[in-house]
Amino acid sequence: MRTWYRTLDYLSIVAWAALVGIGLVAIYSTTHGPAAEFLLESVRGNYDRQMVWAGICLVGFCIALLIPVRVYQKSAPIVYLGAILLLLAALLFGREINGARSWIAFGPAQFQVSEFAKVGAVIGVAHLVGSRRPGTAGLRTALAIIGLLMLPAMLIVLQNDTGTALVFIGLIPVMLFWAGVPVDLLMLLLAPAVTGYLAIVYEPAAIAFVVLFTLFMYIRTRDRKLTALAAAITGGTLGAVAVALTKILQPHQVARVLSFTRPEAEEFRHDVGFHLVQSLAAIGSGGLAGKGFMQGTQTQGRYVPEQSTDFVFSVIGEEFGFLGSVLVLMLFLFLLVRLVMLGNQMKHPFAMMVAAGTSGVYLIHVFVNVGMATAILPVIGIPLPFISYGGSALLAHTALLAITLTLHMRRDDFSIYGY
Amino acid sequence: MMRETRSEDPSIRGRIFMVVASMVIGLLVLRLAKLQILDAGLYSGESRSNAVRELRVTPARGTVVDRRGRLIVDNEDTYTVLITPRYFDPERTDLLASLLSVPDTVVTRKLAEATAWNAFRPSPAFRSVSFDVIGRLLENRSRLPGVTYEAAQKRRYVAPFNAAHVLGYVREITRAELDRHRGEGYRSGDLIGKSGVESAFERPLRGTMGSAFRLVNVHGQEVDAFRGGTEDLAPVAGQEVVLTIDYDLQALAESLFVGKRGAAVAIDPSSGEILALVSKPDYDPDIMSRPLAPEAWDYFLTSPEKPQFNRATQSLLPPGSTLKPLVALMALQEGVITPRSTVTCNGGHPIGRGQFFRCMHVHGTIAVGTAIEQSCNTFFFEMMTRIDVESFARYARAMGFGRRAPLDVGEEDTGLIPDSAYFNRMNPRGWTVGTPMNLGVGQGDIGVTPLQLAGYIGALGNGGLLYTPHLVLEFRNPDGTVERPEIPEPTRLPFDRSNVDLVRDALRRVMEEGTGRWIQIPGIQSAGKTGTAQNPRGEDDSVFIMFAPFDHPTIALGVMVENAGFGSTAAGPIASLLAERYLTGSIAPGRRALYERTLAVKSQPLPD
Repeated sequence: MRTWYRTLDYLSIVAWAALVGIGLVAIYSTTHGPAAEFLLESVRGNYDRQMVWAGICLVGFCIALLIPVRVYQKSAPIVYLGAILLLLAALLFGREINGARSWIAFGPAQFQVSEFAKVGAVIGVAHLVGSRRPGTAGLRTALAIIGLLMLPAMLIVLQNDTGTALVFIGLIPVMLFWAGVPVDLLMLLLAPAVTGYLAIVYEPAAIAFVVLFTLFMYIRTRDRKLTALAAAITGGTLGAVAVALTKILQPHQVARVLSFTRPEAEEFRHDVGFHLVQSLAAIGSGGLAGKGFMQGTQTQGRYVPEQSTDFVFSVIGEEFGFLGSVLVLMLFLFLLVRLVMLGNQMKHPFAMMVAAGTSGVYLIHVFVNVGMATAILPVIGIPLPFISYGGSALLAHTALLAITLTLHMRRDDFSIYGY
Repeated sequence: MMRETRSEDPSIRGRIFMVVASMVIGLLVLRLAKLQILDAGLYSGESRSNAVRELRVTPARGTVVDRRGRLIVDNEDTYTVLITPRYFDPERTDLLASLLSVPDTVVTRKLAEATAWNAFRPSPAFRSVSFDVIGRLLENRSRLPGVTYEAAQKRRYVAPFNAAHVLGYVREITRAELDRHRGEGYRSGDLIGKSGVESAFERPLRGTMGSAFRLVNVHGQEVDAFRGGTEDLAPVAGQEVVLTIDYDLQALAESLFVGKRGAAVAIDPSSGEILALVSKPDYDPDIMSRPLAPEAWDYFLTSPEKPQFNRATQSLLPPGSTLKPLVALMALQEGVITPRSTVTCNGGHPIGRGQFFRCMHVHGTIAVGTAIEQSCNTFFFEMMTRIDVESFARYARAMGFGRRAPLDVGEEDTGLIPDSAYFNRMNPRGWTVGTPMNLGVGQGDIGVTPLQLAGYIGALGNGGLLYTPHLVLEFRNPDGTVERPEIPEPTRLPFDRSNVDLVRDALRRVMEEGTGRWIQIPGIQSAGKTGTAQNPRGEDDSVFIMFAPFDHPTIALGVMVENAGFGSTAAGPIASLLAERYLTGSIAPGRRALYERTLAVKSQPLPD
């Protein structure tokens, strides 16, 4: 039997450290650049605070590695319930920051509980799947998973943080996929998302997708009910999006959804369009090799709003160019692939689901965050894992990785307890 | 159907997930390749225009010096206090007000104006602040956040004379001038030469603007030099303009004109360089380069004294008797008389039958030389009956009358030299030989400028070369190299040298025995001619022309004093004193009385 630390996956930790390091570099550039004296006092401290958070994460990482897998397994329902209670508490007593009532003060620090709810949700779903026999996932399991994820999502919507809630909704197909839910059902679940996106970007494409998807389902299954369901779901989404954009949503909400399709348009210029125009200018002007550390005119001139948090990718794109941006994406891809590989090595469904959920959370964040910064997705305010400024998100994302690596490192312990 | 897919190997799902993740990341990489490689040029322009502000660095305006390098105009720093409202602490309003010695309400108002424009950018709030006040502001810098200052240059006039019509002045550019100078890099608020040297040589004086690139943040604040200032362009200072003006001569000329209206031009007859140019009343260019009180503008624009009007180059006066030497030359050259031909003066010309063609004395039978020396009107009336008007006009133009010089600085009038076409136009019912007769004594339909008179007497002085008068000797670049302006070549007068010499000699005798004998320069031979021009408004204008020394003249003068009587009482002494000062460097003690008397002469006040 190998010594425990020999089975620790150091490569993942290297990728994590690299991403956190890149994040600190980007945040340093926004707070210690040549124009630092013009920053507000509160912004100037961002780098130092993030350094403290990174230190806390490192300590937390080490502590997590010491905890036996049984504790994770047994405490999973408590963690999930705790997360839900925290969300409720934030909703009732929490502090409102940037319009979202999702913060709870804990001593000198403030925590965004919706970030920690991600950990709870992943562990909760993993526990649910892990407590059943593998390969038995049916409609009931699927509905349970959907329920476990929709509950925090709805609470977070009530907290007025739709962006974070979308992460939980995005996790639904990912978790179902890993739980072994049939592919056809998954496709039925994913089809509305694709239809909705196309309906926003280019309506004829959405109509074409509805027709093609229905045809595809018929050819694949020859099942008339399923085909009709496919047509109803996708067609219904198309109609719902059209009605929502024209009838239900307020103009500023419509603008937020539509602005990424043409951010330079006059009607969007002063709102979200401004974020996107400036973000595109920053990333595009970075070119192949970037303008250099602390040399980005957009970054140093603070043209991109939220440039250390949700739009931190614009800093990397501008100052480190295509090469720097791709390096970040490749680190993420490496981490995603690595986590899936670790998941496959762990035969226990709980551990595998934690690994899968973790990589799912990362994938959703990277896709939505970078997609937003490069204007292929609407502006949805969620952070880039490990890189964006923000202690709660860094801690939550690191916790997911730490738990996965712990479970992997101690994967031989599972056999003792069985399932 | 769901059962069929239930028992898959998890590693297949793992592979599917990896493919999906790779596709998602690949999509983002493609998007970045489009933005950062294919469209990079598009966005780099956008980000640059966004965040980089080009500031102009104004070069020092060129200085102006006299012919020997003595400083006349340079620049001085004044200070402008700027307020950035976003950073200004309103509780310090009274402190700032007391430092600037203005009421609190003024600071409050300036602050409100600045806020209305842009709360994040420094707004010029108080201009022309002295250096001591800036010093006191700096002492309180820590208590006055958001208060900054910048240096601005202002013209400084260091010479003890105005030379307003030579130097001109600079002021803020007007909207019309901005349109006219489109493409030359002027912006609102810039200074531009409005007249004189400042306007004529605006381009060399202004120099070349430099650029400084600054990184600007989203609030419009300049936060740093762009790329460490490596793309900045240093300004090139304006050229120094070296005038032909003689510092001391100009100062004396202006002091002699106190209380008078008129003009004086002194030139070097061997080059056309203008040694002094006075037109009075004038104005102080220093006042014109500051914010002007309404009364000052009112005087400047509407006073009947017309301080803006350059009497040296624009006033049209009949030359009076100062034209007689030219008429004599015409008659000799046309062959209507010889040096020995005589005319008999009985106190008037027979055609005259009335008041116009009278002579001051009964000169008896005289030849041309004596006629000039004694300024006999009858002789020159007779000459005009013998010279046709076309010839008169041709010779007068050859002498520089009736046309622009062309002078390098300022505006000129052509003057008026009548020809037969002119008389036909003015006398539609016909005219006779008597009509142009009073041209012979420089009266009637004739107008010349003091500048033309100076050029004329200078050409007689040097023996027959008419030089182009000019005010600029050379331009000196900041690196020490020198550029000379192109001055047209002198033209030779259409008069035989012997005739010129005869007239020159007569002019010498004017100074020795004639009307100029009171104002001879002690010890220096000179030549001159007085003139008294009838002025329909009040007393006669006093006119005088002279050159000295007689053999190789180095100064020639045309002087005119409005409404001051005879040529020998006002204009003559001024010319003589100036020539003496220029030639000897001082005024002889024996001439103090003449100097005092000349100072005391006043032009008859203008009617209200």
